[in-house]
Amino acid sequence: MSKLLEVRNLRTYLQSGGRQVRAVDDVSFSIPKGETFCLVGESGSGKSVSALSVIRLLPEGVASHPTGEILFNGQDLLKLDDPGIRAVRGSQIAMIFQEPMTSLNPVLTIGEQITEALQIHHPNMSDEDAQERTMLALEQVQIPQASGRFRDYPHQLSGGQRQRVMIAMALACEPQLLIADEPTTALDVTVQAEILRLMRKLQDDTGMSMLFITHDFGVVAQMAQWVGVMQQGKLVEVGASSEVLHKPQHTYTKQLLAALPENLAKPVLVQTQQQPEQVAANPTPLLQIRDLKVWFPIKKGVFRHTVDYVRAVDDVSLDIPQGQIVALVGESGCGKTTLGRAVLQLEPPTSGSIQIDGQELIGLSARELRPMRRKMQIAFQDPQSSLNPRLLVETTLTEPMKVHGIGANQEERIELASQLLESVQLNRDFLWRYPHEFSGGQRQRIGLARALALNPEFIVCDEITSALDVSVQAEILQLLLNIRQQRNLTLLFITHNIGVVEYLSDQTVVMYQGKIVERGETAQVCGRPEHPYTQKLLSAVPRLVM
Amino acid sequence: MTNSLISRESFAARIWRKTLDGVGVKFGFAWIALLVFAAVFAPFLANSMPLLMSKDGVISAPVLKYLSVEDVWVLANFFLALIAFRFRVSVGKRVLLFLISSALIAVFANVFVRPPALVIYDDFRTPAYTEVDWRIMPPVPYAPTDYLRDMVSKGLEAPFETQGHTHLMGTEENGADVLSRMIHASRIALSIGLIASGIALFIGVIVGGLMGYFSGIVDMLGMRLVEIFEDIPTLFLLLTFVAFFGRSLYMMMVIIGVTGWSGYARFVRTEFLKLRKQDYVQAAVASGLPLPSILFRHMLPNGVAPLLVSVSFGIAGAILAEATLSFLGLGVVDAPSWGAMLDQAVKSSSFNWWMAVFPGGAIFMTVFAYNLIGEAFRDAIDPKLSGKGEGV
Repeated sequence: MSKLLEVRNLRTYLQSGGRQVRAVDDVSFSIPKGETFCLVGESGSGKSVSALSVIRLLPEGVASHPTGEILFNGQDLLKLDDPGIRAVRGSQIAMIFQEPMTSLNPVLTIGEQITEALQIHHPNMSDEDAQERTMLALEQVQIPQASGRFRDYPHQLSGGQRQRVMIAMALACEPQLLIADEPTTALDVTVQAEILRLMRKLQDDTGMSMLFITHDFGVVAQMAQWVGVMQQGKLVEVGASSEVLHKPQHTYTKQLLAALPENLAKPVLVQTQQQPEQVAANPTPLLQIRDLKVWFPIKKGVFRHTVDYVRAVDDVSLDIPQGQIVALVGESGCGKTTLGRAVLQLEPPTSGSIQIDGQELIGLSARELRPMRRKMQIAFQDPQSSLNPRLLVETTLTEPMKVHGIGANQEERIELASQLLESVQLNRDFLWRYPHEFSGGQRQRIGLARALALNPEFIVCDEITSALDVSVQAEILQLLLNIRQQRNLTLLFITHNIGVVEYLSDQTVVMYQGKIVERGETAQVCGRPEHPYTQKLLSAVPRLVM
Repeated sequence: MTNSLISRESFAARIWRKTLDGVGVKFGFAWIALLVFAAVFAPFLANSMPLLMSKDGVISAPVLKYLSVEDVWVLANFFLALIAFRFRVSVGKRVLLFLISSALIAVFANVFVRPPALVIYDDFRTPAYTEVDWRIMPPVPYAPTDYLRDMVSKGLEAPFETQGHTHLMGTEENGADVLSRMIHASRIALSIGLIASGIALFIGVIVGGLMGYFSGIVDMLGMRLVEIFEDIPTLFLLLTFVAFFGRSLYMMMVIIGVTGWSGYARFVRTEFLKLRKQDYVQAAVASGLPLPSILFRHMLPNGVAPLLVSVSFGIAGAILAEATLSFLGLGVVDAPSWGAMLDQAVKSSSFNWWMAVFPGGAIFMTVFAYNLIGEAFRDAIDPKLSGKGEGV
């Protein structure tokens, strides 16, 4: 099989504020015609920079290539001048990006954008021909009613459709190589499954090669014939994907695979056997949600009268028993985060009832709510924004304690706070640091410590591992299980990651368009789903079980 | 890849370090520091009386006798600010402490400092002050209102024109030394910028903060108020007030401040609207923290940084407004001001370059310095620019 792309000893150094970062360090791989090569690795491992080096999209002054050659059809791309590389870019090598929202120009229709790409590479093509080709390309990526969509603007399409348009644009010029940089990471699993299926079909139809970048081993298993694992700029393992995924040689690859939630050893099994007894001993659930509605009004017209509502949470009833981890699963926009926030009264519910320990929360004033706040806390998704950048960790942890009268004086509270840090496996001295001094995983631990500071009974964990790399995610999940065991905590764990659900939770609740469609023991919901939506969701999850 | 960038300094310290990174901003701060020095020590830098002299074995400091209430207050404030800067307490406490003691000093100075009501500068050129054992004169031996009409043949004198009494920057039509007037005028330039912007900032933060946090109807009403104040033409309002109530520096400060807060309010409102939804603010709400803590501890420090940028441009604007007013001949009468000096340059029968170049240059440099500082602040705060290139 002839090689379409051969990368030999590629080094890419990035200049950043007087320092040189070896983003790509001596990387060699090749892609045969018509096949897919996947680059996997954690954030910052250099996989995107490798791809950008191939298509030469890195800024001139910042990036340099001390060694290496990139042979595309036998031609070294690194030696091409600007007009030369422009002739290759787009027409022979195309690229699609992670964020479909920002990759399309919002002020041009999708038809115009694809037509423009076509006419740049085929200057002699007439307008009619270009439009016809565009229409074909849109049909090829299975956009429903492609002819009607020609004059649509990007904001009129859903995320999945935008990514299809991006693919249509990339494929319009029939490139030989498609570089896809995490094309499905921003999409929901069901949409991801469709896009991946589409990409495989297009590859079969056109015979193009793909350089596919992802952090998700499940996606690798579905897409790749070849896979390369990157760590800190180095390609630590390359091989056929079946070999690498099932018989990994390098320790790093083994670690990564072992950190996948579906492969994590489950200490939770021991506990679940204890859970029924606890439930039996404590029959009233800790949290009772009845007919909860959170509706956001849509206002129109001069007088801003309400024409309709967005029913983010619509008639949800849910019991969360003491000491259980309840996973709340659903796709983006299904209302799971709104539900979590409404429980904590961060989002005022429209109607319904929320009781914690038999006490009603809805209708309480801010003052009446304050003593109740001790019982329930929240941990957030984004490690960047979850901690106040201006405050020392010490202040972040002790201020709520002070307000709620925990600890007799500041020394005592500082002692409590350092114990908290130890319980989330951080160093005591971290109290005297600012948030920007920590990595994402450490910040999530501090976020957890803050949630634990008031010694609550109930914590809402809103996608707390979604922004983290798999290995860090595994650590946080294990930590959560430990803490739960020590403190007999009740958790509402909001996530879209089925692997995490199976690893962590006792019960699973599936939400779809503001309503709960299925709930039950995790093993049952994930093993024998009954609702069609749950079945669709579970079958869409790319899995890799060792 | 990013771990090596982690450093142990507070957010404020990091912004401060990045702000000071560039060359331009260092120049800006240096110029402002020079102005502050000139403004604070003006009576010691440019005055007609000796700083220290010994006559018949008696050592005296005539300059101290003639210090005005204002001089004493400015000096005391300067040292107070230095002391407050050293204190290791929170910024809010420092500011409060400073304001209280500053007010106390103002009261004391008004009661106890009694300078002679009338100063006759010619006295200092009589033997009582000249025929002494030794004396130390200020670097510029002329007071700003020491008109030398009777001493020289004509009032206007270019720099270094006559031997005997050197005027580094020449004299104006009444024979007063231009450099001395420039030094004393730096007080007006500095104070009008700082106080007018201070007033505007105070109103803007409160109105904008309330609009942003409560949103809804409060926001709607607040924005209408902002729009009303944006429509007031400051310069014409100033002219009207001067016409009706006479000339007063303090009135000018208040008017510039009261009409200039709308921009700050908009800034703070936008920041607060954004911050309200930040996870750490939500976490503070979820922890049941009281409202003042949420507003002033968790939100304001995170939203105030972009404001500093616009404040530094606002100060420059206030200085220009004062200069414009003085240039139109409607500024303060009794004290020298850069704008008024420019006015004099144009009004006299012949064009006297030294009367235009030096005050004009000073106005330009000051506005430029504040703009440099503002721009450096903006670059330091903007996360998108971090790491790219150097500061201004």
